[in-house]
Amino acid sequence: MTTQKSKNEVFVVKHLRSALGSPMETALSRSRERVNKWFAEEAPLIQWGEMSSPLGPLFAAVNERGLCALDFGRQESEFLQRFDNRTRLEKDPKAVQRVLVQLREYFAGDRSSFNLPVDISQLTPFQRSVLEVACRIAPGQVWTYHRVAEELGRPRSSRPVGGALARNPIPIVIPCHRVVASDGSLGGYSGGSGLKAKRWLLRLEGAL
Amino acid sequence: MALRFEELIERHHDEIFAYLWRLLGNDGRRDAATDVEDLTQDVFLRAFDSFVGLRPNSNHRAWLYKIATHCAYTQLRRIKHRRDKLSSLKHSTAELEISISPKDMEQRVRALVNELPAKQKACVTLRYLQDLDYPEIAQILSCSQESARANVYQAIRHLRLALEGER
Repeated sequence: MTTQKSKNEVFVVKHLRSALGSPMETALSRSRERVNKWFAEEAPLIQWGEMSSPLGPLFAAVNERGLCALDFGRQESEFLQRFDNRTRLEKDPKAVQRVLVQLREYFAGDRSSFNLPVDISQLTPFQRSVLEVACRIAPGQVWTYHRVAEELGRPRSSRPVGGALARNPIPIVIPCHRVVASDGSLGGYSGGSGLKAKRWLLRLEGAL
Repeated sequence: MALRFEELIERHHDEIFAYLWRLLGNDGRRDAATDVEDLTQDVFLRAFDSFVGLRPNSNHRAWLYKIATHCAYTQLRRIKHRRDKLSSLKHSTAELEISISPKDMEQRVRALVNELPAKQKACVTLRYLQDLDYPEIAQILSCSQESARANVYQAIRHLRLALEGER
């Protein structure tokens, strides 16, 4: 019974496969090209590169607007995981060359601020305003979370300020490490190896 | 690391194209190949829009097949509607007879497959042309495995009876 059933099935499947078969390679490759072309036009391009730094391997990424991500002391896969999985990721050292040159100068003590277009448009308006205040803190100085909150006209928002700084996608270039706690401690730091890195950066800038 | 959209295209474009081609590209219409290309593009466009909400541990392949099946069903309905409209016009009878009176076996099988209900057509294509297993087919068609098996069985039975009658 089973043998007869499977024989019948084999008979039909054989005819099915030969009748429906496979599409022609030309049609297939034309479609593949079309989908890839659409994707290249539709998906945002993110180009990234890496360098070694005193704080461990450092990764930087740029999009069409400017520097959009920076991190250090982590694995490459951890860094790349942060991007929307619909973007096109390309490792392109040339695209981030300007960023990496300025960072090298900074680590060598030859540069105290950065001249780079940045893109923080993914953040909320509050997070953006916090980071904009952080950019006004001069190298060698530290402000407290409370002072940043006051600058924003929201003196009771020290904790949300801390939260916004922790989401800084471009540490070092946007100097969130220059914000410390009111009790004199360093507060928090989400970049690289955490507080160790924050202390290192503040020492480099002569703030500690 | 979560699957990236470009990897999704790389891994699954060809099989999705072949699936749509098997469902829609074999019925003798002149514009069938262009339809399949348009539809494949549409599948990836829809996938792109909802890719962000997809859980990283989801079965991406089954998810993509599901979108492709929905797109194919819509297109099959359109084609059927067009055919029904045509067949109601007397002067088009001759043209239609050419497509449903095939001379050789392959054409005959294609015509028989095209007569199957959309779900049977999808089930039998997924099982025997795309080589998917029943748990995946059930996921793609949002039905039970039993229902997927039953649809495959019905399709095979229908084709066998029709073909045996011609041996």
